[in-house]
Amino acid sequence: MSNRLGDFVSRGISIAKKDARIYYFKPQIFGFGILIPGFVYLSFSLGRQIPNEILIPGLVAMISLFSASSIEAIAIPIERQTGTYELLQMAPVTTATIVFGKSLAGSAFGVVLSLVTAIGAMLLTGGAIINPFLFALAVIVGSFAFSALGMLVAAAVKDMPTANISLTAIRLPMIFIGGVFQPVEASPLQLRIISYLTPLSYLVDALREAMVATSIIFVVDLVAMLTWFIVLQMLAIMVLNKRLA
Amino acid sequence: MQTEPAVETSDLTKCYGKLLAVDHMNLKVNKGEIFGLLGPNGAGKTTTIRMLTGLTNPTSGAARITGRDCVRERLAVKQRIGVVTEESNLYGEMSAWDNLMFIGELYGVDKPTRTERSRQLLEFLQLYERRDDLMLTYSKGMRRRVRIAAALVHRPEVLFLDEPTSGLDVQSSRLIRSLIRELNEEGVTIFLTTHYIDEADQLCGRVAIIKQGKIVADDSPQKLKFTLHGEHLVEVAFGGNVSDVEAVLGKHPLVKDIVKHGDKYQIHTANPSAVIKEIVQYALSNGLEIISVNTKQPSLEDVFVKYTGLDAVQVERMEFRAMKAGGRRV
Repeated sequence: MSNRLGDFVSRGISIAKKDARIYYFKPQIFGFGILIPGFVYLSFSLGRQIPNEILIPGLVAMISLFSASSIEAIAIPIERQTGTYELLQMAPVTTATIVFGKSLAGSAFGVVLSLVTAIGAMLLTGGAIINPFLFALAVIVGSFAFSALGMLVAAAVKDMPTANISLTAIRLPMIFIGGVFQPVEASPLQLRIISYLTPLSYLVDALREAMVATSIIFVVDLVAMLTWFIVLQMLAIMVLNKRLA
Repeated sequence: MQTEPAVETSDLTKCYGKLLAVDHMNLKVNKGEIFGLLGPNGAGKTTTIRMLTGLTNPTSGAARITGRDCVRERLAVKQRIGVVTEESNLYGEMSAWDNLMFIGELYGVDKPTRTERSRQLLEFLQLYERRDDLMLTYSKGMRRRVRIAAALVHRPEVLFLDEPTSGLDVQSSRLIRSLIRELNEEGVTIFLTTHYIDEADQLCGRVAIIKQGKIVADDSPQKLKFTLHGEHLVEVAFGGNVSDVEAVLGKHPLVKDIVKHGDKYQIHTANPSAVIKEIVQYALSNGLEIISVNTKQPSLEDVFVKYTGLDAVQVERMEFRAMKAGGRRV
């Protein structure tokens, strides 16, 4: 049992390291993972007086969403096209190991960019985080969920343009209803209900909790993001396994 | 003592929608064999390999590799096999060395072992000096050689090769054939598909011919050739002007067919010695000099033509397309 778990983790890490090496510096990642969320955020926040506890969690959550979900949305279509995804399928690893390794690569990218963004935003605005450890923990769990989202979309479509368009069609509405620009509580009831169906709103909420005052809500947010991560991973595994039939 | 076959299929079948790609295939490849699966495009060779290597599930039937079920014991099967696909699917943005190290990690090979094994393989395949170059900079032949090395890092018991030398330069093809023989001497079972019938004849101890998803012949190349008894060929070239060879010799009851190729006549017969006597008689009575006379046994290509229904020109076209390395096939 421990041997199996060891193989699962070590081979997953090998896949993650390989993806990090090949895809982190692709120009498409810079465009879809960094430039787009940066511009979207600036276009909505410039000229407005936004308090730090709204600005920093919203910005960090958006960077996490876009960067963590972008890696595999680009990697999987490229690997399918070049046949290198088949190389992974030929190896003695389960689809779950492949999905875990790839999610790890996407989430690590999201965590690093989000934390760098958080540090930069704090330096520029003079904002402070009451509980940096919980802030980082929320970023890690949220990035895992977003990376799994990117995996699922990439697994379900045929090519890279379709993956990116589909992902953008999911991500943009999420940032408008997920409390990125204003707290979810300030939205109308119907939007509030929908926002609780997206993982982004839980990350924004958890980051705000970690920034100002941590309560039991933080744990609820964390559990919700973990649930999203597990559900999206399982769906990605199902979609990829279906292609074997 | 009875040993487990290296590869065994029972009623293995694969359908893609209404297309029956592999039709109730029953096949047994013994340990230590070099086995070749021959067939025209779309006959089901690649689909068979994809089912045996766990890349696609059979619609019905079963396949076992060294006694393990290809679907139920997928990971155990994958650990014991190496697969070389026709497309050299390695990471172009990584060096040959890093590709081999990554593959070794995926198969759970420890670092000292995969380092030593990769060095040996790249040296044999004459690529060690270029091990740190990105795969993007490699020629097709070099990429195929690295792909074969990648399939061998974990020392598989059975090696599957789908068109191993298709579209490659002479040097790469020779190296690959020599590696296949060497691996087989070390005890590795080889299962290959090829469009090159001569290659199958030279390499394989046993071949099967597949047509429309069904195995239509399965034996050693030599025994398959014997099945075409009565299909000998006598090739003769005369000096001087000859105009009525086809008319005269063609009437002989032992001559099945006579065809002119350049300055030579190819005579198909069941009794070559009697036909050679007739040729000598004809030359003497017409005052002709015999420049050369050869008898030929049926080739594996003749066997292939008989069982697949393709003619010789179609076979040549098939080999030419393989040389130019076509796309994916069923």
